[in-house]
Amino acid sequence: MSGFGFEHIEPLFLAPLALLPLLRSVLRGATIPSLLAAPVDGLSVVAGILLKFCGVVAIGASLLGAASPYVAGADVERFSEGAQIVMLIDRSGSMNETFAGRTPSGGEESKAAAARRILKRFVEARRHDLVGVAAFSTAPMLVTPISDHIGATEAAIDAIDRPGLDYTNIARGLAMALSMFKTSQADLSRAVLLISDGAGVIDPKLRDDLKAEFRKTNVSLYWLFLRTQGSRGISDQPAGDDESPQAAPERHLDLFFKSLGVPYQAFEAEGAEATEEAVKQIDRLERHPVRYVEELPRTDLSAGAFALALAAMALLLAAKLAEVRLSVGDDAR
Amino acid sequence: MRPEVRDPRVALLALATLSLAATFFAPKIMIRRPSFDFLAIVDITGSMNVRDYAASGRPVSRLDAVKAALRAMLAELPCPSHVALGVFTERRPFLLFEPIDVCADFTPLQASIEALDWRMAWEGDSRISAGFFRAIDMARELKSDLLFFSDGQEAPPLPARGAPTFEGRAGEVRGLVVGVGGYEFSPIPKFDDRGREVGFLGADDVPHESRFGLPPEGAERREGYNARNAPFGASAAIGVEHLSSVKEDYLRSLAEKTGLSYAHLEDGKRLWKDYAAVASVRPREAALDLRPFFGVAAALLTFMAVAAAFFAQAFIQMRRAAPFYRFPQPRRSK
Repeated sequence: MSGFGFEHIEPLFLAPLALLPLLRSVLRGATIPSLLAAPVDGLSVVAGILLKFCGVVAIGASLLGAASPYVAGADVERFSEGAQIVMLIDRSGSMNETFAGRTPSGGEESKAAAARRILKRFVEARRHDLVGVAAFSTAPMLVTPISDHIGATEAAIDAIDRPGLDYTNIARGLAMALSMFKTSQADLSRAVLLISDGAGVIDPKLRDDLKAEFRKTNVSLYWLFLRTQGSRGISDQPAGDDESPQAAPERHLDLFFKSLGVPYQAFEAEGAEATEEAVKQIDRLERHPVRYVEELPRTDLSAGAFALALAAMALLLAAKLAEVRLSVGDDAR
Repeated sequence: MRPEVRDPRVALLALATLSLAATFFAPKIMIRRPSFDFLAIVDITGSMNVRDYAASGRPVSRLDAVKAALRAMLAELPCPSHVALGVFTERRPFLLFEPIDVCADFTPLQASIEALDWRMAWEGDSRISAGFFRAIDMARELKSDLLFFSDGQEAPPLPARGAPTFEGRAGEVRGLVVGVGGYEFSPIPKFDDRGREVGFLGADDVPHESRFGLPPEGAERREGYNARNAPFGASAAIGVEHLSSVKEDYLRSLAEKTGLSYAHLEDGKRLWKDYAAVASVRPREAALDLRPFFGVAAALLTFMAVAAAFFAQAFIQMRRAAPFYRFPQPRRSK
């Protein structure tokens, strides 16, 4: 988008005014019986032309400066470390409880509030990431698309500690997160960061679809499991032969993720510090070269135009102040 | 050899020079410019899928009409404005994101609005008054105005005693209740479990009367009425709840109760006009570049200085000519 342009176009409509100094001078006319009475003087001719020219420039350059011309900044492609990340955030009601499984009271922080604080710091530290946010409970919701607009991403993260909804439907959430990646940007490293405090059973009918989708999109998956103290963990094996997704959804979700065939890592956090540690680890892991476009600021040219106008105007004013009366007769009257 | 200071052209040129010099010394000032903050809550319940709007000759759903109008309206907002977005279904609004700067983050904001979908709904109920009152609380918390988009169709229907009462202070939050939908009844599309459209809702698909609470007046005259066993009568009520139109009277009454205004959704321009009429203006500091004004002033002053000769001539000619035709006088003797 580099090029020349004007911030305001309106002053240029007055440009024809700049032609008037060619016809008229700012100096007063003098009555002289005949032009032939004055000797031909090269210097005077040059001075006359120069003054006319100064008038044209003074008006023209003032208008030009008022139009605020600029040269647009070039888009410069740079390389940095980062990734394309979709944050898939659980907005089920239990996220509003503390890690101890209680309603927060006093200075306690809910899981959602802790996640909000930590994720915001994560986003701020990684300015070259492209981040999108999706939320899910019973239904998935696209909150903000993948973009480099940190303001929008932060506004979306700010909203996650508001009262949540009912259930945890991970399968549809994952499908939504995967659909947010654009196929055109396949050369970027992609990651889904799933933040949830529970697991759900993934419908067996959807398992294969999800698996295929994961492989096609080629993303890495990080599951940040905010575990309520005393509840089942990812690696807890249920006692006896009660081995079913319904009895131990966390474990089975983990097994399913492992079977996807994409880079996958689970982090179990039982408190704000552990969550922070996990996010730091993800930060270290997701460092791939990314190409990003930096837009250089445009160069404002109006100061130059005004300087030119000022110079011309100064000459004009000097000529006007140096003007003397030629005819004595005028004064006498 | 004294320069002619009394010549107005000297003054004009001096002013023009000063004006140009000012572009270097006072290039900008801070002014307070009006801006707007609002929270848009969009009803995404089933009745919003009714296709009773039209765009370029094709029917579009109410939800799509809301999305188009909102997006068009964003482009009209003055610059430091902020917009938060939420969806409504069941009985509560759900905030997607806190206020976003409309100008800096225009693209993601537009995309987020475009992504609104009825499939985001976590439950099928549509208890509008409850959701609306909570949306007002949310807007107050966010220190924003409220734009509440809904067709006003309560599902299930309100009980006989009417809508719940509003407990907040009326007029504390300003904004609009935007009625969405046509005035004629239209069928409501029906979707299966996998989200595919399978025709329209029939009269048997929806409840037509709320049977919570006390029965309405006159229920004892219904067929099969029994005070204990069938206080609502024996047969299920059949109404028009499977069809939908904008419930303007109801939305108007909600707006009245809460101190908001009501407007019907037409398009983005109209929506912006309706909103601007009731919005709370939030002045924000913004820099105003003064240089264009100084530049134009300098150009005009110089032009006047150059043209002064013309004006003077015209003036003199007028003075000379005037006595003859204004006040006819006897011929002067030489």
